[in-house]
Amino acid sequence: MKMKRFLVGFSAVVLVLGMAFAVNAEEGVTDTEIHIGQWGPQTGPAAPWGSVARGTDAYFKMINAEGGIHGRKLIHHMFDDSYNPAKTKAGVKELQEGIGMFAWVSGVGTACGLSVVDYLMQRKIPWVGPSAGSLHWINPPREYLFAVYPLYYIEAKALTRYAAEKLGKKRIAIAYQNDDYGKNGVKGVAEVLEKLGMELVAKVPVEKADMDMKPHVMQLKKAKADAVLLWVTPTHAVRIVGTSRAMQFTPQWLSTSTCSDFPLMYKISKGLWEGVIAATFGELPDADCPLLQKYKKDAYGKFAAKNERWGLFFYAGILFSEPLVEGIKRCGKDLTRERLVREMEKIKDFKGIGGRISYAPFDPAQGYECRQGQKEVFLVKCLKNGRYEKLTDWMEIR
Amino acid sequence: MDMKRDYYEDVQLFSSGVVVFWFVLLMIGLALFPLFVKNYYVYMANYMVINIIVAVGLNLLVGYTGQISLGHSGFFAIGAYGTVVFMSEAHFPFLLALIAAGLAAALFGFLLGIPALRLEGPYLSIATLGFGLTITQVIGRANIFGGRQGLHTPELYIGPWHLNSDVDFYYLLIVITLILVLAGRNMVKTKVGRAFIAIRDADIAAETIGVNLTCYKTLAFAVSAFYAGIGGGLYAFVLRFIEPEMFGLMMSIIFLAMVVVGGLGSIFGAIAGACLLSWLDLELRNILSIPYVGQWLEALSKSYFSITGVSNIQFIIYGLIMVLIMLFEPLGIYGFWIRTKIYWRTWPF
Repeated sequence: MKMKRFLVGFSAVVLVLGMAFAVNAEEGVTDTEIHIGQWGPQTGPAAPWGSVARGTDAYFKMINAEGGIHGRKLIHHMFDDSYNPAKTKAGVKELQEGIGMFAWVSGVGTACGLSVVDYLMQRKIPWVGPSAGSLHWINPPREYLFAVYPLYYIEAKALTRYAAEKLGKKRIAIAYQNDDYGKNGVKGVAEVLEKLGMELVAKVPVEKADMDMKPHVMQLKKAKADAVLLWVTPTHAVRIVGTSRAMQFTPQWLSTSTCSDFPLMYKISKGLWEGVIAATFGELPDADCPLLQKYKKDAYGKFAAKNERWGLFFYAGILFSEPLVEGIKRCGKDLTRERLVREMEKIKDFKGIGGRISYAPFDPAQGYECRQGQKEVFLVKCLKNGRYEKLTDWMEIR
Repeated sequence: MDMKRDYYEDVQLFSSGVVVFWFVLLMIGLALFPLFVKNYYVYMANYMVINIIVAVGLNLLVGYTGQISLGHSGFFAIGAYGTVVFMSEAHFPFLLALIAAGLAAALFGFLLGIPALRLEGPYLSIATLGFGLTITQVIGRANIFGGRQGLHTPELYIGPWHLNSDVDFYYLLIVITLILVLAGRNMVKTKVGRAFIAIRDADIAAETIGVNLTCYKTLAFAVSAFYAGIGGGLYAFVLRFIEPEMFGLMMSIIFLAMVVVGGLGSIFGAIAGACLLSWLDLELRNILSIPYVGQWLEALSKSYFSITGVSNIQFIIYGLIMVLIMLFEPLGIYGFWIRTKIYWRTWPF
């Protein structure tokens, strides 16, 4: 009997010690630090999106200044990949195999992300909040990948519904970039219009290399569109609006969240952006949301570089990281990747500076439900000097 | 010294026993390399080796034949997409798909070589540039190539072996590169290579002594494109995902820079240039972590070049290294090698 009790006790001790060892052995986590990696272009064609990574950096520094999470500091390793997938893969491998990241956060660029997604998933390394609203992240869903950015497809649906129902537009058209991003927009518009018994009067593809927008605008004008969705890059969007103005064609322009940084758009369009309606996935820069103001004061104010602008891309870096931070907080002292995934799956209606975020236990058949965190957007209108007018409240679109 | 006594001595791959000794040593080193380094360095080696293939091919065109190409990213893209599509759509095994894609790139190289018969210098560079830019647009529009969304590569099997890691792929790459580099060296040592060199040095003179310009110029383009195509096919499997935007103008310029920095008209130079620029490309960002120097560079960058100082400085240094090499050694790294060799041969005098 004594022997049996001894054996049970001994096994229990071994098991507990073993578990403790396993906890300590989690890659990228020590008693005082949690290592988190992120890539982001600081140079090259996509350099303006570099502020996403810098936003995350300031956010983590703010958390550390407030004492970290359960006594651990967040050590942020960001590197410049110049928007080149070969460099993204090199940097991710170097950090993962050199220092050992516990998890990865954000990361700009669909191609950059796709070049490392298999690498991270095979190693069961969590990745939260890729900076692109692409279907690639949830289709197929992956157990360790949590998307935050609402799908462009959802934004298209919200804008089309608003144009048709609230503004009473009858002839809706779309100018879209001929890729994954643009086609998501077309899909969203077409679905809503079909439900409303209307037709898409024109869908005009725009190639990234296109410089002259006259042929595109001519097609929109010929179709007599009274509302046009712009699913293109900010540069193309500005060119289209400018060319249309010159050709005396002035429909209601509606655009995706990638063109919703109004102060920037107003400036680069020399004021033409006034009146454009856009979908957005985060609170407005001057919103009286207390959390946003706190980030502005404590993260941006104390840790951003001197010439950094408090703009959408900067605090999007915070928005995309909030669910990861929430997940780490929920894990408590016992932080492992498995535990993080389980805790993230329990997140329901989490509210940071974006829309509500919810995940669910992993189900390969329900990618949108279990791995697409934010499903809400709201609409804004650009006023004089790039000021915002909020047109709707947060709305969940399915 | 390097005196050649007969033709066969000139065309042999290894000029002496010493060269064979170093070659064997290099092969042993390459075989053992993955056993002693972290996986990341194996990935870096894979990236380098692919650039070596392209640079050796491009050097046959630029360095040996005197033609210029700013469209090699186009051939690279054809190789990458060709390999993936031949595997996924036509169900070719990997090696067959790779060779087929290389041949497809060679066909485009041959076609591009035809206008090269009438164009020279800056005019030729613009024509090839146009090709490089167009090909990605065409690929981006075709659904079979995944359009702008890009393509994931299929799983890689060679016979019964599943090549699933960087190390597995490394050994395959080394074998392919070795074959291509030796083939390149063999080519420049024989009749075809001499014809290329004759065209480079004086094409009219070459024609008068019987070198068929049409044949050899288009051949140079086709062979060079074949190398780039093979490089592209392998690159797709290093990244495991490809999309048209990756194969931009910058890629063509970097390929050309590898050849020029390494040393025009030398296989060794192409290899050295590809190694140096690939290494700088991936590793230069770590310059900011060097004690003292890194902090000083970051401060310099913050003051004058960027608001965060994260990385502009690495591009400036990258450019500076290229300028300095060209300024002090117009023959590139190959020039340094020649000078070093001569120095040691006569040392200590």
